[in-house]
Amino acid sequence: MSIFKNGKSVSKSAAFALLKDLSVCLLVLTGATLLGCIFKAFHLADADIILLYIIAVLVISIFTSKIHYCLISSVIGVVLFNYFFTYPEFSLSAHGAGYPVTFVTMFITALIAGTLANQLKRNILIAEQNAREKEEAALLAQNEQLRANMLRSISHDLRTPLTSISGNASTLISNGNTLDESAKNQIYTDIYSESMWLIEMVENLLYSTRIEDGKMQLTITVEILDDIVREAVKHVERTHPKRSIKVDMHDEIVPVKADASLIVQVIVNLCDNAVKYSADDTDIYLSVSREREFAVITVSDNGIGIPEEEKEKVFDMFFTGSRRSSDSRSGLGLGLALCKSIISSHGGTISISENTPTGTIVSFTLPIGEVDLNE
Amino acid sequence: MNEYLVLVVEDDKPIRNLITTTLKMNGYRFITAGRGDEAIMLSASHKPDIIILDLGLPDIDGVDVIGSIRAWSDVPIIIVSARSDDKDKITALDKGADDYLTKPFSVEELLARLRVIQRRIIKSENGPLTEFVNGRLRIDYISNCVYTDGEELHLTPIEYKLLCLLAKNAGKVLTHKYIIQSVWGNPVENSESSLRVFMATLRKKLNDSNQALIQTHIGIGYRMMKL
Repeated sequence: MSIFKNGKSVSKSAAFALLKDLSVCLLVLTGATLLGCIFKAFHLADADIILLYIIAVLVISIFTSKIHYCLISSVIGVVLFNYFFTYPEFSLSAHGAGYPVTFVTMFITALIAGTLANQLKRNILIAEQNAREKEEAALLAQNEQLRANMLRSISHDLRTPLTSISGNASTLISNGNTLDESAKNQIYTDIYSESMWLIEMVENLLYSTRIEDGKMQLTITVEILDDIVREAVKHVERTHPKRSIKVDMHDEIVPVKADASLIVQVIVNLCDNAVKYSADDTDIYLSVSREREFAVITVSDNGIGIPEEEKEKVFDMFFTGSRRSSDSRSGLGLGLALCKSIISSHGGTISISENTPTGTIVSFTLPIGEVDLNE
Repeated sequence: MNEYLVLVVEDDKPIRNLITTTLKMNGYRFITAGRGDEAIMLSASHKPDIIILDLGLPDIDGVDVIGSIRAWSDVPIIIVSARSDDKDKITALDKGADDYLTKPFSVEELLARLRVIQRRIIKSENGPLTEFVNGRLRIDYISNCVYTDGEELHLTPIEYKLLCLLAKNAGKVLTHKYIIQSVWGNPVENSESSLRVFMATLRKKLNDSNQALIQTHIGIGYRMMKL
């Protein structure tokens, strides 16, 4: 079924190209003939009209896809010249000894000029394609570089929590009996928080692997923004039970075009950052609004904020800020980079600004979706 | 102490230990299986009340295990799978699983899922068919009327159908595909997005904006909770 459809569309586009080329020929030759008539009315020489036709063939060669049109329009140009402008007018016969030579010269000149123009056009196309290929190769190399960097950085950063988890567990196994309750509790808490950190990182890593050519591979459907926000908030409340997230949502149902699980991850990352860089007793605000064709989601906190000079860089991969989070552990520098890549793949934008008196506001947009209700 | 018998099917030993320790601490009885065929055998011989089933088993696909068990038993099945396998989860739910847990899951999550299933077991034992009552919600099947807190709601035919479907399967996660097939019959393009909008409006009418009654499972489907 799909092959059939494909075949149909291919022949359709070929027919369209043919139609376009033919109409270009028709239009340009008609134009040349009309101009020729005007020239004639002003008693200009035959040679000027011949030049008009040569220009016409040149234009046709540039604007049509195949060399055939140059050949055909050269012939037609000669015939038209013969028909309209040589004595006797409006007939294909020509009285006058010089005319056969004129016709042949005109044909050859038009053909050569046309062929050259066509050649030039092709060369330009080839050069463009070469440049594009080069660009693609560069991008590929850049991606490889990115992947290598990512692996290196990740392996390094994952080693720390893993060391802590395995070390703590082995202490419990070998010296469990000699430790007092509070020491044991400290170890349990450490193991737990280190593994939670790992879980968070691995989530982001998994999503990062879906980036190809700087773009995220998406499965876009029309989702209800409310559902996405609620899922994200549920997740954040589970991982940070002590923190309170104030959600401000409108009463209307906002359908957005999105890959739901990825947008959930974006909101989770933004909230995680807000949690990390603000005091435990401050609130985190999440609000949703609608601006024409876009939904705007904003996460804000009253934390330490981001220094002005780092605002540009926070969306770069592997960038970790100079200000330390409350647990004094820096992340992999994946979170915001991932957010940006996800949002721009959705056709939205993400931006960061200052909150008053202190803190950070991050907002991003998503395109509004449309739904036909099958009632 | 409760007398529920749970069958834990999981080939990974640390995870199995985690689940069984949690069960033991909370007074459940349990049996374990590390392979699919073993799981099918044990569920036939011991008649567990709840099954926790990992989808990645060494011998047979977890989804096939659900198929075999469903051939003779309605025992509630909670599947366990990794996050990236949404498709597997959906197939398993369509095959008759009741709920799912996503790795990595917390102990609290596991216990919460078990409680949801238990409420369902207790309630489904003798429910009248003319009426459905769940928290503030009451559906009168005879007059096709829906009430919250005794006040009648005005639902469109589709919304009513959706609500009845969820009520009939309360406690169970229903996939988008299943809901669309049951409500519209023949799925057309965009039916998933319109389902989302219908659910959102239905939820508004039920005044359930915090999803206490109807849960959204992103990428999977919906579930009505037993309150």
